[in-house]
Amino acid sequence: MEAAPKVGAADDAIAVLRETTPFGDASEALLARIAAISRVVRYGAGARIYSADDTADDVFIVVSGCAEHVFKPEVGAREALKRMGRGGVFGWAGLLLGQTRRLATVTASEPTEALRIDTEALVRLLESEPLEGGHVMERFATMIQREFAMPALLAQVRRLSGPLTEEMSSLSLTMYRLSLWLRSPRPYLMLIGFALFLSFWYLAVEVWKLPRFREMPGITGVVKEWFAPSPTYGLSLYTGEYYQHIAMSVWRVTQAFFLATVLGVPVGLLLGWSRKFKEYVFPLFETLRPIPILAWVPLAIVMFIATESAVVYLAFLASFFATALNTMLGVESIDESYVRAANCLGASRWQVFRHVIIPGALPFIFTGLQISIGVSWFSLVAAEMVSGQYGLGYVIWTSYVMVRYPTIVIGMVTLGLVGYTTSAMVRIVGDYLMEWRVRELALAER
Amino acid sequence: MKKMLSNPMLWRGVASIAVFLILWEIGSRSRQWMAPELFAPLKELLGAMGFKKDYLPWIGAVPAPSAVLKSWLEVVGDMSYWHSWYMSFFRVMGGFIAAMIIGIPFGLSLAMSRTAHGISFPVFEVLRPIPPLAWVPASIIFWPTQESAITFITFLGAFYTIVINVLGGARSIDVRYFQAAQSMGSSRWDIFRRIILPGTLPSIVVGSAVGMGITWEVVVAAEMISGGGSQIGGTRGGGLGFFIWLSYVGGSYEQIVVGMISIGIAGFISSELLRWGGRYATPWLKVR
Amino acid sequence: MRRPPAASTRGHILIEDVVKVYNPMGAAMLAVDHCTLEIEPGEICMIVGPSGCGKTTLLNAIAGFHEITSGRIVMDGEVLCSTERPKARPGPDRIVVFQNGALFPWKTNLENVVFGPVMQGKLARNEAIDKGRAMLADAGLSGVEHNYPGEVSSGMRRRVEIVRALMNDPKALLLDEPYRALDSLTKSVMHEALLEIYYKNKVTIFFITHDLEEAIFLGHRVAIMTTRPCKPKKVLNVDIPHPRDYGVLTSKRFRELIEETNEAVHEEALKAFQAGEKEG
Repeated sequence: MEAAPKVGAADDAIAVLRETTPFGDASEALLARIAAISRVVRYGAGARIYSADDTADDVFIVVSGCAEHVFKPEVGAREALKRMGRGGVFGWAGLLLGQTRRLATVTASEPTEALRIDTEALVRLLESEPLEGGHVMERFATMIQREFAMPALLAQVRRLSGPLTEEMSSLSLTMYRLSLWLRSPRPYLMLIGFALFLSFWYLAVEVWKLPRFREMPGITGVVKEWFAPSPTYGLSLYTGEYYQHIAMSVWRVTQAFFLATVLGVPVGLLLGWSRKFKEYVFPLFETLRPIPILAWVPLAIVMFIATESAVVYLAFLASFFATALNTMLGVESIDESYVRAANCLGASRWQVFRHVIIPGALPFIFTGLQISIGVSWFSLVAAEMVSGQYGLGYVIWTSYVMVRYPTIVIGMVTLGLVGYTTSAMVRIVGDYLMEWRVRELALAER
Repeated sequence: MKKMLSNPMLWRGVASIAVFLILWEIGSRSRQWMAPELFAPLKELLGAMGFKKDYLPWIGAVPAPSAVLKSWLEVVGDMSYWHSWYMSFFRVMGGFIAAMIIGIPFGLSLAMSRTAHGISFPVFEVLRPIPPLAWVPASIIFWPTQESAITFITFLGAFYTIVINVLGGARSIDVRYFQAAQSMGSSRWDIFRRIILPGTLPSIVVGSAVGMGITWEVVVAAEMISGGGSQIGGTRGGGLGFFIWLSYVGGSYEQIVVGMISIGIAGFISSELLRWGGRYATPWLKVR
Repeated sequence: MRRPPAASTRGHILIEDVVKVYNPMGAAMLAVDHCTLEIEPGEICMIVGPSGCGKTTLLNAIAGFHEITSGRIVMDGEVLCSTERPKARPGPDRIVVFQNGALFPWKTNLENVVFGPVMQGKLARNEAIDKGRAMLADAGLSGVEHNYPGEVSSGMRRRVEIVRALMNDPKALLLDEPYRALDSLTKSVMHEALLEIYYKNKVTIFFITHDLEEAIFLGHRVAIMTTRPCKPKKVLNVDIPHPRDYGVLTSKRFRELIEETNEAVHEEALKAFQAGEKEG
């Protein structure tokens, strides 16, 4: 059945590997390494190469001749028979998740020469090549699904483990998605959208001078002012004062957000976890919540002798309600089965809290935190407009009062940018803490 | 009724609100609660950390619940108080309905067409972090009347929330409904009318409830800002936000709290109306 | 009725005259009606009945998630719950495998599997990891240790969940329609996998299903329950010898057993349909 392996056939091996789907675009170096661990075998016409349910030990690549590959019926492949010539790859069952046995019976219909590669050795080799290894596995998966028409459920390939590949996969996942995004029409549509918006602004205010738009600050004015080394109204990217205002607002939001999270998350967790606590506290909570934060402004000014703390208090209040509420919803949304399962497995009440409730509520908590920081900015701006001395809200209002129109827009745009950045930072922290969810969502991407 | 009264849950809630009111009463009356002197060491610590020494609140300055109640009973007879209610409600409804009329179709069109989404959504997302109140000066410059300026701000507040919720709702419609409709030969318009619209309705309702809350926040702020700090014509803004501001300026602290609670109640009423309307529009969700 | 010889001595469950009455919104609803059932140690006992008939209630009572109204449940001589103490304490001697799976999505498969012994302090963490790795490999799951449950197929998730339970050396496994959401292809693979696992670890298996074929294929005995209120209508002794495989499904004896019981099952299903039972 098998002939003795030929010596010195490395170049031939590399050549045929190039013609296969999984290894088609691998580097020379990788192919050389694979060739080194492969051996050539020969089969006579009609010889049985392997049978279904044998142990899956080697991967085969047809060098010459023809192999007939017949799936066993349980596999549910669309076509059971597949004939393969040079470059055909079979015997990859060992690469699939949870498979240790052959899924098909393969016979040589004519005299056939093939490369045999030990599966475990191949996997180890691929694990040692972080970027390329993952790529080759992906190509295997695609080949199995497309060329062999196997149901996707059974055709999942093993995940290469190893510290380097673990890190790489998050990075390469991002790079891969980025490259997909760049190849789609989306970035160009985005540019069109912005172009339309900005040109409308330009045309309406400065060129056509439409009725109400006439008095608005024009885009050229704003841009000139913003980028001017010595701006007419004193505020631009070059002035120190600009950054002082930004810093002031950011510092206030940070304080408010920090306090709101430190107080709001535990309160929310308790509200969700303990029925007694909820019965006592929630009615009070819900009575205070509908009062708009800004209705607190005069009272806050009265309560807090320093306007600084009043402003922070207002931002805090809004954040606190949003955080606590969302945390509570997060805890309540945890499927009871998880808690029950933990109980079955012998976890104490505290262990359930730590290992089930907190991680389970985390997605909601982070949604709440993103809302909370948005709401925080919202309240802060209002508070600054009414009673601040520094900060972006103050800038916007005083610019209006002092008839410095371009600066209004500078303030607004800066506010948008800074607000977005802080929100994105919260989201990034969340993504980092909840890697499992990012992966799950990536797989389910519509 | 009897069953409701004997429910321990109800009493616990009442108990904590009662405790809250009592503490508040004591705090205001004592006028020394959390006074600067009491917290001297803590304030030193804060000072050392770089915070201003007067960081902590002084509850003593807050009027007591009893005083608030008395003030409220006085105000209830005053016509201008109810006029404020009317003005605020009017603005809220105006802005909110505008946000629904423009926001829902906008959101749906973004959900239906990938091209429209690709062009409009990035611009939308870039504008969204700018708080509606930051638009106040621009709005005042642009719109001819103060009323329309305030309505525009309230519109903005609700608009963003409604669009996001509509998008979310449309995306989450089970793709099998579409497939079922297509296999039964529905036209694009049919699919829109019979699947997308009802499918998005629950999210629209939720978005509206949240948007309504934001609208109230914005109305109050807009009224305070344009009424309180404005230099533009002495026209009475009216509305509950303006009421609070006047009370503050006039030194009647009890009335401030009256105003605050009034707005809370008004907001609650409008949210309930909305939820009730929502239940009417989506009867199929009642079955649980 | 001849019973198969006891394959082990642990995991004897006695359900004695159990009654469960629910009070949803004031109207009393009888879910379980004087149900008596005895399960031998190491036996695979299948509970078959239409949806919403109260079989999950029974499982929940054994597991300790719900109270019983009267009667008692005893395992290996120890009273789990009774009229005096109506709620059992959930514990690692009888572990539930849930219908929609309850692997913790925020832990990797390996971390899930070692959860039980580590939480109870029975094993040190690295010992648990070694044992976990070995058991996963035994079940043919060695490639997925470091994946999150959300990344692997549902069939695989079920198997990991079973391994997670077995890591605690339980007396009994309580399975609540675990394969209901899987397609029939994966289901048949799962059945064989479950039997393989069972042959290596002789635990008592209490398995709820509405699929009669699944019940007869897997079980030593099959108890067919009436529609709500729930009570054993007919108990079938499946005398096809273990170890069983795929081929059993087409054997003559299998077909005969189905014929015997089909009518009883269908009768109850019809009653449930007419009563308009909601999925329970």
